[in-house]
Amino acid sequence: MSLFHLEKFVRILASTTIGALAMAQPSYEGPHPSLEIVEDPMQRRAAYLDRVNEVIEWRAGIVERGDAEKMDMASVSANLLLNQNIEACNARVIELMENPGSGPFWMLPTTCVAFMGRGKLSDEARQAIRRAWKESYQLRGDTENHFAMYYTMLYLMSELYPNEPGTEWYNGKSSEENLEESRDYLIDWMNIATTIGQGEFNPTHYIGEYAIPMIYLQSWAKDPEMRLRGQMFLDFLYAGLAANTLSGVLRGPNARTDDSSVVERWNSLSSFFSWLNFGNCPPTRGFSWGNYYAIVAANYHLPEVIYRIGMDRDQSFTQRDLKRSRHRWRYSDVGKAPIYKTTYMTNDYAVGSYQGGMADPIQSHVWDITWATPDPRGKHPTLFSIHPYSSHKAMQAYFNVRPDTMVKAVAAEGKPSYDVADKLVGCSPYEKVFQHEDTIIALYDIPQGTRFEQVNGFFSKDLEDLEEDESGWIFARGENAYLAYFPMADYRWEAHMAYKRLPSTGNGYQYERVASGSQVLISPGNKNGTIAQAASVSEFADFDAFKSAIKNQSLTFELEPTPQVSLRTFRGARLESRYGSAPQVNGRTIDYSKWKLFEGPYLNAEKGSRILDITHGRLKRTLDFNTVSISDSVLSN
Amino acid sequence: MSLKFIPLAALLASFLPLIAIGQDRTYDLYVCAAVNRNYVIGSKITTTSGLHLRQANGQWAHVGINDPSIFAVSFDPRDHNTFYTAALNGALRTVNGGDSWRVTTSWDITEPKDVCVDPHNPDRVYLAHPGGIAVSDDRGMTWTKRERGLPDRGKYTQTIEVDRSRKGHILAGCESGIYLSQNDARSWRKTLVTEETVNDVQQSPHDPDIWAAVTQSAGAYISRNGGRSWTAFDQVPSEAALYNIAFDPTNPGRLAIGSYTYGVLASEDGGATWKPRNEGLPKPHRIWRVGVDPDSGTLLASLYQKALYESSDFGKTWKKAGLEGSAINSFVFLPNSRK
Repeated sequence: MSLFHLEKFVRILASTTIGALAMAQPSYEGPHPSLEIVEDPMQRRAAYLDRVNEVIEWRAGIVERGDAEKMDMASVSANLLLNQNIEACNARVIELMENPGSGPFWMLPTTCVAFMGRGKLSDEARQAIRRAWKESYQLRGDTENHFAMYYTMLYLMSELYPNEPGTEWYNGKSSEENLEESRDYLIDWMNIATTIGQGEFNPTHYIGEYAIPMIYLQSWAKDPEMRLRGQMFLDFLYAGLAANTLSGVLRGPNARTDDSSVVERWNSLSSFFSWLNFGNCPPTRGFSWGNYYAIVAANYHLPEVIYRIGMDRDQSFTQRDLKRSRHRWRYSDVGKAPIYKTTYMTNDYAVGSYQGGMADPIQSHVWDITWATPDPRGKHPTLFSIHPYSSHKAMQAYFNVRPDTMVKAVAAEGKPSYDVADKLVGCSPYEKVFQHEDTIIALYDIPQGTRFEQVNGFFSKDLEDLEEDESGWIFARGENAYLAYFPMADYRWEAHMAYKRLPSTGNGYQYERVASGSQVLISPGNKNGTIAQAASVSEFADFDAFKSAIKNQSLTFELEPTPQVSLRTFRGARLESRYGSAPQVNGRTIDYSKWKLFEGPYLNAEKGSRILDITHGRLKRTLDFNTVSISDSVLSN
Repeated sequence: MSLKFIPLAALLASFLPLIAIGQDRTYDLYVCAAVNRNYVIGSKITTTSGLHLRQANGQWAHVGINDPSIFAVSFDPRDHNTFYTAALNGALRTVNGGDSWRVTTSWDITEPKDVCVDPHNPDRVYLAHPGGIAVSDDRGMTWTKRERGLPDRGKYTQTIEVDRSRKGHILAGCESGIYLSQNDARSWRKTLVTEETVNDVQQSPHDPDIWAAVTQSAGAYISRNGGRSWTAFDQVPSEAALYNIAFDPTNPGRLAIGSYTYGVLASEDGGATWKPRNEGLPKPHRIWRVGVDPDSGTLLASLYQKALYESSDFGKTWKKAGLEGSAINSFVFLPNSRK
């Protein structure tokens, strides 16, 4: 649908549903959506556009509702799209441009308003935007998502204001220079992602920081190749989202997540994108950055093959992906360390992991077992353990900072748990994880003197039938999943204390700790380990049968001198894992160096290929970033 | 480009004008100061950070871009209106005293930590950055890597200095040690091995053969042969990071070290003995940077996110000297036009 048609569609819809504007967020507040597959493409598309429209109207409706909150740039953009409240938009844009922001999180909303305001905003308002991009110095940031946003917005604005000299831009470069630099970066970034893997892979929130720039590129770039690249990278992102969600909720591991999303798995921006694309889970409150996506969301057509990966699975599957760590500037033999990610997905539960070690120094989540819930809102459907590691030197590897301040500073920058003993977000160089199907073996060999010599295991308030068996196993049930957790060292229980953000005092983020009802298993000890397994309730006659199967497994383990496990699983696999050594399955050593970029029933790509095959049943879409082309086919039986 | 930034000597920053100023100053003092506690990318910048020039009346004037990430500045000795900064976005250049700027590097160089104009050939500029070392031979218009001899890993570069007395000689402080080039950075050889980053390398204003360096975890060093070999300062602790070292241009025996952990360390005998000089500084003595005024020998110390302090007796007593809330990344004393 072209932008023109989108606007026409939205106008018609708005005129017939004006009464609904007063309602806040029906999808957020209403019942859980149906998980039925929508077979009719027209019906599927109409439902998608309904969801898009809900976001646009909700955000635009701030003006009608008289909310205390002032119009932000998302609200301005939504009103511009709906051709309403134009004078209010003009006034607000002029006001906002008097005090611009300082980086990609300002550049993105402003780009949205600039493009949506073409032919609608007053000359004065448009000139205010243009002046801000001339006079307000923009910081590029220091993370992959910062760069993706920064360069996409600079690319688009350079096209919007072509042929202007460096004196007209905040960075002193001409429109053409900015365009070329931005294009070069974006292509290089796509090349890296499609050859050695994504850096900020499987993010619970930061998917928006990539999806929004890409749909803007698809919607607004003049260069047809860059438009197509935007569309292709959206397919790339959503194919990954589809394969890593269960009932719309993203499953671990994650390059970057946060203290809230790591336990309330649904409560992240990724759920907005599941809701929008698949309609299979509720969106999060306020749609967050999804507001900026919705403005042009009608320009994207989710391929049926991706829709079906997200919605239509009749068998369990294992997907193996190659990702990469955040760039290590120093104190490492490699700049971009390979991340070997495994996802085992059933309709009842998911098990995911990467091999341990450092992916992102602050916000990584290494492994979990999560389960499907009828309604994920407010639930903590996850089980995992971590070594709560923090380190000045680790910070220095990834950030170009001095050694003494960043550990404390990140807490004030929105990552409050970084240097806290009971934290649940983060990775450690002293954690090695091996996954085979739905069995996880996580081993820890923590040097003496390391900050926090313990392992934290998360146990949800939503678990049922939690039982500490005298065998050492801890059993529980999460909806239709049976769970078993074996701590390899002594432990104690503590209440899980969540982080509740407090109103800003102008001195960084402030939080208070509040009991969530969940628990944390604290296992002190440098030599440590966790074994975790899952099965569907339907696989066993009853819970006791599952427990018997687990206890009857052949299990030996040692902590000294090096943690190691030998396990013959109830499914018959013989697993050998020793800290620091390559694991074995049925006597065969796992060779990570042979992993492909994607390998599984749905996503396949060779390392270095820049070509992703997305398949479901007979449907196949190939994204070829070498030729910048998309090809669709229906495979023969 | 007519930026909304404050042009040189136009607007005065709101810091207290406490530095004592004489009438016969021969150097201008520039500082790269960040005044932005808990700033993160995306939040509004509500303070004034970046380059500041000490005025004749002792007040501070903000120069150029309000950027909390400016780490270093280097001036063209032929024309002090042309200078370069190392900042988050890359290397920036102004040719009109800060009225307008250009980010001279592209996407592939980020967060440079130091910049140095070659006094023997001021069209040439050296850049220390996390990916290594880059050189421009055309006043920052283009940059090329010059890293032959640096390791593939271990070339994170924190500091770079050109030998003022030997053309073509450059010293770089990297993650894995100190590297010396004797051919305009066309090749490098390691002259000091360290496990962690070399944070600062400085040439003595008294004897060009003497250089001093401080490190993150290996203490402090002195070279008496132009950086070809190094000897540890035995009394300087090495358990925690040392951030920078400064010679006193008015007294050959005096050196000072700034450290977040140790505060100010001072020597008055050429580095043979060292003593803490923190009496009178607010605790904790989180020193971000030290410098010595070449006109007066006044020792300057930036207390992290607190203020600038000065001492007229080389650290025995201190008084506040303005720039409240700042962390100063570098002090640059520039011969002024009255000289």
